Amino acid sequence: MSAPGDRLRVRVMVVDDHPVWRDGVRNDLETAGVAEIVAEAADGGDAIERARDSMPDLVLMDLKLPTVSGTEATRRIIEDSPSMRVLVLSASGEEADVLDAVKAGAAGYLLKSSTSEELIDAVLRVHAGEPVFTPSLAGLVLEEFRRMAHKDAGDPDLTARENEVLILVAKGYTYKAIGEKLFISTKTVQNHVQNILTKLQLHRRYELMRYAIKKGLDRAPD
Amino acid sequence: MATPTHNVADNHGVTQEPSHQEPARAPSGTRRTLARGVLVFRWVALLWMSVLALTHPAGFERPGLAWGSIAAAAAWTVWLTAGAPRWGWTLWADLALGAWLLVASGLVVADGAVVAGRPLFATGYPLSPVLLWAVTRGPGAGLGAAAAMSIAAVLARVVNGTGLTEIPAEGLQNLAGAAVNFLVAGGAVGIVSRLVVRSAEELQQTHAELLVERERAARLAERESLAREIHDSVLQSLALVHKKGQEIARRGQGGSERIRPDEVRGLADLAGEQEAGLRDLILREPEPSPEGTASLRETLEKVARSVNGLRPTVSSVGPIHLEKRTVTEIAAATREGLTNVVKHANATSASVFIDETEENVTVSLRDDGVGFDYDEDALRARGKAGMLGSMKGRVNDLGGAMTVTSQPGHGTEIELRVPKSQAST
Repeated sequence: MSAPGDRLRVRVMVVDDHPVWRDGVRNDLETAGVAEIVAEAADGGDAIERARDSMPDLVLMDLKLPTVSGTEATRRIIEDSPSMRVLVLSASGEEADVLDAVKAGAAGYLLKSSTSEELIDAVLRVHAGEPVFTPSLAGLVLEEFRRMAHKDAGDPDLTARENEVLILVAKGYTYKAIGEKLFISTKTVQNHVQNILTKLQLHRRYELMRYAIKKGLDRAPD
Repeated sequence: MATPTHNVADNHGVTQEPSHQEPARAPSGTRRTLARGVLVFRWVALLWMSVLALTHPAGFERPGLAWGSIAAAAAWTVWLTAGAPRWGWTLWADLALGAWLLVASGLVVADGAVVAGRPLFATGYPLSPVLLWAVTRGPGAGLGAAAAMSIAAVLARVVNGTGLTEIPAEGLQNLAGAAVNFLVAGGAVGIVSRLVVRSAEELQQTHAELLVERERAARLAERESLAREIHDSVLQSLALVHKKGQEIARRGQGGSERIRPDEVRGLADLAGEQEAGLRDLILREPEPSPEGTASLRETLEKVARSVNGLRPTVSSVGPIHLEKRTVTEIAAATREGLTNVVKHANATSASVFIDETEENVTVSLRDDGVGFDYDEDALRARGKAGMLGSMKGRVNDLGGAMTVTSQPGHGTEIELRVPKSQAST
């Protein structure tokens, strides 16, 4: 586990519309002693506000939320405080929404059906600045980049190495195993994954800009 | 201005609820078609007007006014043809132009010439606004426009220097004839237009009803297949969870028998698997495959779910639609591969990754298990090539190749590469 030694506990906010689920997550994280739940929110609007008030290190975000969607809440939270990390916890079958959330700036994604150990591990990894990817998300991201490559030349494209790394993540290899396979350090693998995410988010901004210009709305809406 | 949200809503409206919107839009489409028909007539009338003006026996008294009017009519006709006019003010402008042409016909010739029986140079063109009003607004409007033109025709005589009371009997007959022409044309075309629009409406309605019906049938079919799938796996498992749960609780009550943690964990796993499966079933947007093909991603996801004792992840760069036979064979090979992992690899995780290039589809099966020395000949010699041999056979039959990368202690990766098109085999 890449827990950063015996640092302070991670300050976490849990966003989910089911109280039972929030209790479960609180129980998992606090019993293990890795995190302190500093806030809870049951919908997207509340999440944005409480993130601002309690300034957690990390937000555990469900995607299907009342009022404001998890994707939109993610976008706004990261806009407010770019250093805050959002880990998406979603049910399977919502991959398209997950991809949107990642484009909006989420640092990782975990299935709700994951075990407590996996959750704790993911919280620590995201807190340490490591992007948490699942193989199926890697597949979706690959698909997205290929689609972009077909459509718009000039968009941020993956380097050969990044492509290689992404395929290995999709194949289910851990960062450590990928590093061993490619003779690079685990840290370098993480950097590649981080760059892939950044390019994906950049692409979303380009897409929005292009859309705005096309619609003649190129003045900032705020 | 169209806002983005507006647009999104529009898209949804068109794709998902065609039935409620179409009928309202249809008549205007039909009217537009009829109006285009009037445009053809208008061009012929313009041409005829020009020919009459060129061949005018006595020449014009005021050629500037005559040719200016014709030029205006020509410009108006071009604009109506090229632009996409909306029938608001255009209709009124058209009416005014037609009336002006009639009145001008009286102004440009010598006094008394009109009553003397010379043809008006603008006779045909002023009929166009009458027809346009009739097709766009119905018979009442057609008659109204015709009445306006008739008055203009009378005015043409007056400006030509013939007082209303001075018009001779023959002239009156001509005038009446012109008025009747206008009125008949306006009324009759208006009635026909209304009939055509109504039947178009009815047709649209029938079409919409048909669409709704078809949609309902498709929904029913989908529901049935959903019910079947839920019955096959989810309901069975729920029943099992219920039964086993009761049994464990009963044993716990007595306090005599111990409850093993792995029993409870097995129960939880079973519920978890079904939860994931059910979510996939409900949440995942269906990927309709073209006729005769199937989605490789969807198929392999099902295969992965059906493997006991392991939850392999499936990732893919897209749905990837291939010929059904190819998909079936790849699925069988994948099932064999995953079964092999469960039996021999002692792995904690396994994954399936589907990639594609222009020519090939590649399925990679990976596990983090014990690994082994892959030596085909040695395996065959020991009679252990079984499952791997069968996989290889399937892939070769599809014109593809299988490679195995493994090392004791470092897991295994098996790659199945199959050409997309089976034409070569």
